[in-house]
Amino acid sequence: MIDDLTAAREQMALSLSFHIVFAVLGVGMPWLMLFAEWRGLRTGDARWTALARRWSKAVAVLFAIGAVSGTVLSIEFGLLWPEFMARFGAAIGLSFTLESFAFFVEAIFLALYLYGGNRLSARAHLLCAVPVAVGGMASALFVTTANAWMNGPVGLVREPDGRLLATEPLGPFLAPTAGPQLVHMGLAALMCTGLAVAAVYAVAMLRDPARRDGYHRRGLAAGAALGLTAAPLQLLVGDWATRVVADVQPAKFAALEGLEHTVDGAPFHAGPLEIPRALSLLLHFDPNARVLGMDAVPAPDRPPASVVHASFQLMAGLGTLLVALAVWAGWLYLRHRRGAPHPATRRPFLLAVAAAGPAPFAALLAGWVVTEVGRQPWIVYRVLRTTDALTTQTGLATYLYATAGVYLVLAVALVAILRRIARGATPADPDPAGRGPADGGPVDGGQPGGPATGGPATGDGPTARTEVPA
Amino acid sequence: MTASDGLALVVLAGLTAYAVLGGADFGAGLWDLTRHPAQRELVARALAPVWEANHVWLIFVVITLFTGFPGAFGALSRALVAPVSVALLGIVLRGAAFVFRQYGAPDGGRAVRGTALWGRVFAVSSLVTPFALGTAAGALAGGGLRADGSAGLWAPFLEPLPLVAGLLAVSCCGYLAAVFLSRDAERVGSPELLARFRRRALAAGVLAGALAVAALPLLPPALAGALRGVGLPAVAVSAAAGVFGLALLWRRRHAAARVAAAGAPAGLLAGWALALHPWALPGEVLLADSAAPPVIAGPVLGVLLAGLVLIAPGYAVMLRVLRARPE
Repeated sequence: MIDDLTAAREQMALSLSFHIVFAVLGVGMPWLMLFAEWRGLRTGDARWTALARRWSKAVAVLFAIGAVSGTVLSIEFGLLWPEFMARFGAAIGLSFTLESFAFFVEAIFLALYLYGGNRLSARAHLLCAVPVAVGGMASALFVTTANAWMNGPVGLVREPDGRLLATEPLGPFLAPTAGPQLVHMGLAALMCTGLAVAAVYAVAMLRDPARRDGYHRRGLAAGAALGLTAAPLQLLVGDWATRVVADVQPAKFAALEGLEHTVDGAPFHAGPLEIPRALSLLLHFDPNARVLGMDAVPAPDRPPASVVHASFQLMAGLGTLLVALAVWAGWLYLRHRRGAPHPATRRPFLLAVAAAGPAPFAALLAGWVVTEVGRQPWIVYRVLRTTDALTTQTGLATYLYATAGVYLVLAVALVAILRRIARGATPADPDPAGRGPADGGPVDGGQPGGPATGGPATGDGPTARTEVPA
Repeated sequence: MTASDGLALVVLAGLTAYAVLGGADFGAGLWDLTRHPAQRELVARALAPVWEANHVWLIFVVITLFTGFPGAFGALSRALVAPVSVALLGIVLRGAAFVFRQYGAPDGGRAVRGTALWGRVFAVSSLVTPFALGTAAGALAGGGLRADGSAGLWAPFLEPLPLVAGLLAVSCCGYLAAVFLSRDAERVGSPELLARFRRRALAAGVLAGALAVAALPLLPPALAGALRGVGLPAVAVSAAAGVFGLALLWRRRHAAARVAAAGAPAGLLAGWALALHPWALPGEVLLADSAAPPVIAGPVLGVLLAGLVLIAPGYAVMLRVLRARPE
């Protein structure tokens, strides 16, 4: 059996990972849903409307899972780390209070969007999706400010003898890591959503060439545009976040760069490569600048370096690959605009998009490992140690295994349901002979009597139409 | 009145909203434990649009509690590990199972393999969750808990009072749901379902009243005294609303019965809170000692009140627009 501290930390890691993987989709999908519904309403293209319908079902399931797994987290803070909550519950309180209202807004308008369709005008229905998207993103960012405060607690009010008296309510919003963490997390949610969605349609197109129709191309284009636009931005924000970490948490920075000793002219590691003096140059714009290593931190205050370093390398490596994919996709798209075949006709590109689906999720989890493991041995950086926050309850390993079992079953069932939602009839392309686009009202992708799967591929010349949204 | 008193009232208000709205959702899950297809259909129709928003009240209560009374949250987290963990398991399974069942048949027809099982998981976890939460409330009232958790992991499940309180919570949920569903059945125009839910509402209401009376002699003397003192108006409201609700049901005034039905658990909760006062954990932690410093309590109370005022109209519109109607 593992000890209680390890079990509690693993439990937290498990609960956070489960929550965040599905919650980022719950944050990002409403933006895609909103976009598709708006396109459908503006152009009358039934394929966009069908995509919006299909995505709204995924949002409904993901929102429910995000809500219940988020509840688990907020209560687990107390069950596992009662001393942390007793001392600092108020400090992170404003973040969570605002989060709860963002969550209320999201829940209320999602209910109206999903179930009020036949009682609302098309315009009102579309407008209901706006607070869903904004509320979801806001709730994610509010919660992230609480984490930023744990990584860089500010606004501590102390007695003259150093005893902690209170914390300022706005502390989480003023934490030095709040800026980069928020933007990094927001972009991560959009990247995960976009690339996961694009991968779903890429896989469908690879499996069945008849599915390289307008419906699937639109799904792929919307997802890839969102995910791949965010990728290069994310690289810049990641750089910003790393610089702030170097300023605020030197131990975490030394761990993620794998720097054991303080040196002048530190080398930069990229996988197996070592570039001399590059880290000093990157960080301080001076090849001979001093960079603090792990030995600058007292031994009891050092995080486990190897995990943090490996996770950082994984995240940065995946991010770089995704930027390369973004460049490739952008180039193919520009050539397509000048008459070359649609990118969706290229098998290697589809394979790359399909493979890129899980990548941002792996990078997301790796990034949180860097943030959370890199903060150890502190739960509130330099204020409260994780050991001192732990509950006195024993037998936490059993608790961990039970949670793992429940979450495993739920994850399998959830993926099965999402796959099920992705299947089913899709609207066919309008007849190119000229009855015009999509005759009439919205086509529910779920209607049993809907158009045949895949649709007739007649006249589906690759250059016949431009499919990518302008 | 200090900002902390205000926060305590907001916690109680959130708890009441969760007990009435979320409780009715759990109760609806309870009435899903049947083979009657039309009954299960109405339960699903009533529940699907609103349960998530209603669930947010629980998150709201947890957050307001740890923000306003971090010390009490820490102590309660240590003392109530077992019932809270069981409730959490129930909450996760209830929510997940419900959406899996709802969206497991996206073509509106053929159910996916396993959705029938998720339907049962949904119903059973709808029973377990309010039981566990009721047990936690009963254990708090019983006064046997310790702030460091030293009373024992399973202590809340081993006393008669918490167990009766758990059953009381389940029957209150069943009662609320059956009353609300009676009105829904009336609105969608189904006399058969109306008769079924009316019968269930009457039975669950009588059972809840009996359990509430049965819990009285189990209360510790101090708490019973407080209930006869400061808690008396709340208890009186609860009892009157309970009797009045049953009378309205009997006279087939289903719309009005909903309001009275909500008053019974609301009064019960208010009485419980008044009787516990000034303790967060009786004999161990005083609410005032566990409160957040005023520098935080004030601004947070302001944000909470402003937020509640802002979301209230949207929430009311949602409940109104999305209730079950004739096809």
